This record gives sequence, C-alpha cells and structure tokens, in this order.
Amino acid sequence: MSKIRLENISYVYGAGTPFEMHALDDVTLDIRENAVTGLIGHTGSGKSTLVQLLNGLSRPTSGRVLLDGVDIWQKPKEIKQVRFRVGLVMQYPEYQLFEETVRADIAFGPKNMGLSQEEIAQRVAEAAALTGSDASLLDHSPFDLSGGQKRRVAIAGVIAMRPEVLVLDEPAAGLDPRGRDMILNQICNYQKQTGATVIIVSHSMEDMARYCDDIVVLSRGRCIMQGTTPEVFARSEELSSVGLNVPEISRVCSMLRARGVPMDEGIFTVEQAEACLCRLLAADGKEGRI
Amino acid sequence: MKSITLGQFYPADSILHRADPRMKVILTVLYIVATFLAKNVLSFALLLLSALFLILISKIPMKLVIKSIRPILFIMAFTALINVFFTGGETVLVEWKFIHIYLEGVYQALFMVTRIVVLILGTSMLLTYTTTPIMLTDALEQLLSPLRVLHVPVHEFAMMMTIALRFIPTLVEETDKIMSAQKARGADFTSGSLISRAKALVPILIPLFVSAFRRADELATAMECRCYHGGTGRTRMTVLHYHPLDFVILCAMLAFGAAIVVLNRLGLGFTL
Repeated sequence: MSKIRLENISYVYGAGTPFEMHALDDVTLDIRENAVTGLIGHTGSGKSTLVQLLNGLSRPTSGRVLLDGVDIWQKPKEIKQVRFRVGLVMQYPEYQLFEETVRADIAFGPKNMGLSQEEIAQRVAEAAALTGSDASLLDHSPFDLSGGQKRRVAIAGVIAMRPEVLVLDEPAAGLDPRGRDMILNQICNYQKQTGATVIIVSHSMEDMARYCDDIVVLSRGRCIMQGTTPEVFARSEELSSVGLNVPEISRVCSMLRARGVPMDEGIFTVEQAEACLCRLLAADGKEGRI
Repeated sequence: MKSITLGQFYPADSILHRADPRMKVILTVLYIVATFLAKNVLSFALLLLSALFLILISKIPMKLVIKSIRPILFIMAFTALINVFFTGGETVLVEWKFIHIYLEGVYQALFMVTRIVVLILGTSMLLTYTTTPIMLTDALEQLLSPLRVLHVPVHEFAMMMTIALRFIPTLVEETDKIMSAQKARGADFTSGSLISRAKALVPILIPLFVSAFRRADELATAMECRCYHGGTGRTRMTVLHYHPLDFVILCAMLAFGAAIVVLNRLGLGFTL
C-alpha cells in the first residue's frame, strides 16, 4: 500500500502578487511503502517544493498530503509529530550543523522528541553507525570534519529520529564519486535494515537507476510519470521530450540494438549490460562465430 | 521571510528613474532644505503640490505610496496632538478646564504634519523608490570622493555597503533554509517562554554565522583572484554621465526653492 499519497496538490508562491508562481500544479502521486523512490526533474520542476510538503514544512495551497491514509494537516498543531515520522534531509545538510560536538548535533532531533537520555545515547550511536560515521568522531566538533563526513553526520541527525519515511533532497550533490557511492549505499543499507520508506531527489539518472525501486518524474510542476524504474526508463522518448535522459548505458544499449546486436530491452545499469553482453558473447562463441 | 523587501526600489520608466543618481541625491538634499524653508499657508500648499507632482511623474502606483506613509501615521498623529495642545497663541478656539486650544496651535499642527508627509513622500519619490540601492551607493561614493583628500576611505565604505546590500537577500534565503532544516528536526521557534524561544535561535544563528564567514572568506579570495586592490586607478563598469535633463530638473528644483522663499514673503495669515 502507499505510505504517502499526494492528492491534487498545488503550490503557489506569492499568490496575489505580480510575482505569483505555480510551483506545483495538480500533482497526484503515491509513494510505495518499504521501497526507495526516486524523484527526478529539472531545476525548477518543483522537486524541492514537493519535498517540503511531505513533512509539513510548507502547507499546500490546495490538495491533501496523506501519511498512512491520514491527512497530515488534520491537526495543524501536531505537525511536529509528522516531522518526526517523515525525516527530511535538506540540500547541503552540512550547513545545518551547529552543536559543539557531533554527538550533541545528532542528538538534536531525538532531544526535540522528548526522549530519555539513554534512549538518545542509543539512537545517536545507532545513527552514527548506520551512516558509517566512526564512533571516535562523536566527540569532535562537526566543523572540523571533511565535507563527506559532515554530510553523513547531518544525515545521521535525521536518521536518529527513526523516521518511518526518510526523504533526502540531493543527498550526493557536491560530493566526489566515492563519497557519492558511499552515501547512497548507506542510505540503501538503512532502508534494508529498518524497512523504512525512502525518497531520494536527484537528477543523476545513473544513481536513480542503480538505487531506486520506483521513479517519479516531475516537469514544470506536474507529475508526468510514475512507476517502477524499468517502467519509467522504458519510456525514453517521453523522458527526452522533457529534457531528461535515460542512463548513459541504456543509450549505449539502444544504439547497439540499432546496429543489430540483440541486446535486451530495459537495461539501465552497467552490471545488467555486462551480464547481457556476456550471455550474448557466450552464445555467439558456441555457434563458432567468434 | 519572503516578504522582506530590500530598499523600496520600484522598477518603472520615468524621468526620475532615468535621472542621474548623483543629481537625485543633491535634489533630495535641496528638497529637504525647501521643506524646512516653508513658513506660511501658501508655501506649504506649494510643498504639498510638489509632492503630488513628484508622485505623478515618478509613475509609482498610489497603493505603494500610501504604504510608505503608513508606518509614520503614529508619528504624524503624535506630532499633531502635541502641537495642537501645547502651542500658545492669541486666538482661543476651545477652552475647557485645563485644555486650551489656540488657532495658532492648529496651524502649527497642520504645518508640521504636512512637513513630515512631504519630507517622506519627496525623499522616497526622488530617491528610494526610483533608485536601486547599488546606484545609490555608486552615487554616494562619487559625491563623497572629495573627502579622499582627507584620507577618508570613501571607496572602501562604498564597497562595503554594496557587498552588504548584495548579501542581504542571500542571507535571508540562507536563514530560511536553515530554519526549515532545523524545523525538520523538530525545532520549535514559535512556542514556549521568551528564554526558550531565544535559546531556539541558537541552532539558526550558529550555522548562519558560519556560512556568512565562509561566504566572506570565499568572496575575499575571489576578489583577490581578480586582482582587486581597492579604489585607486579603478575604472567603473557603469560610468555616470550628467545629461541635459538632469540640469533641467536641477533648475526646476532651484526655482521651486525660490518660489517657496517668495511665497513666505507674501505674509498671508499665520506664519511659523
């Protein structure tokens, strides 16, 4: 069943002024439970606006946000509880660090939840481990860490609240390839270990293909596609019509197909392509063509 | 946070928008002097007319003009009351217990309120509504440049002002983001006692300061990379030129000042 459902969501900035802008326009979508959903779209497609609606940081101009089938704005005074259930990691989360030690910073969320000291200590240790932050780092100042370490600490600060849904806005932006793989792998591990629902915003098709089960495509404030990763990437013409590309390896495969190599449809990771090519080559070898 | 408007510049195409910012600074000073020269009914009437005339030619929507007056309504009311009740004179209008209101007091109150309104309207039409903050600092830098002889670092001050203006929207945006991030972690800025609310600001202020310092550092490096070394020998991207129109406006302003002085002499009724 769907963990989060957006119903006819519209969001307007600066309504009634000359600067009125429709960031989201009648968006309806479902986020599947216990899955990793990727949210793709160009700059200005409304991704970041949408993400802030999921945990009630902003209120939609019209439409409903349903968490487990309940409208999160039913009791506006208890919106804080929704924020603990839907953890949001904003873009460049390392800029939100403020405490004297990493430990205290990760504990900020749990402390706001009103948990006991032991519970907080346990959650901090758990979150640090889940994000691959070494326990020896916990007593350092967060400002002494490297960029990648800071990012992981900031993500740990949200994970420590044990949210049912973890939303990450461009978690890998500005990291080197190794840091990026590390972060995304850890997020996936977190999903597997806790069974949480994860939503990742990105515009890297390669990352999406590798890590996401489902994909939602936004364009100019509208949701134009949603489905499983193979379903979405199968519609490559539509994707390129809105200025998005399928992963590079998928394009290589379709070019190979065009030249008569019988590659499978629906390949979007290098590993899949490798397997397919090996199979083809082995088959060719048996027939003595190589 | 989005509602913060920086300065009051309103983009439009009018004579006042096109006029040279340096000239506008000079005109504003002259206009302020003129408002203080006015002494009788006629000259105050001319002041009011001139303010209306400025609003007309600046093409600023009336709604915005009224908005600029709203914050000083209290000061206006206060000035009026003080003047009505505490100005002595000869012609008594109302006499009740300890309250004496004289005709002179009413005149004085009217004049003072008119002066405040005209002062606000005139300066905002001439300067703040029609000049971008950047143009304004440019103009101030050039007008103050003679002070360089006295070793006043005019260019540096202007540069600091420009940078500060440039970064206000950036920092507002940054504050917004940090607030959202901390709210997402359950921070609460709107409830609790005064002390707990002040404490709740720490998670915003520290990241904000850190990022402001980081930005300042990066900006300094970027400026040095482009060989910035202060004002000496520096040319400008937009060079200001006086146009004939600027002098026409200046003459009009001087004529206006002269008219006020002449009208003061006509000695009609009450004089300040």
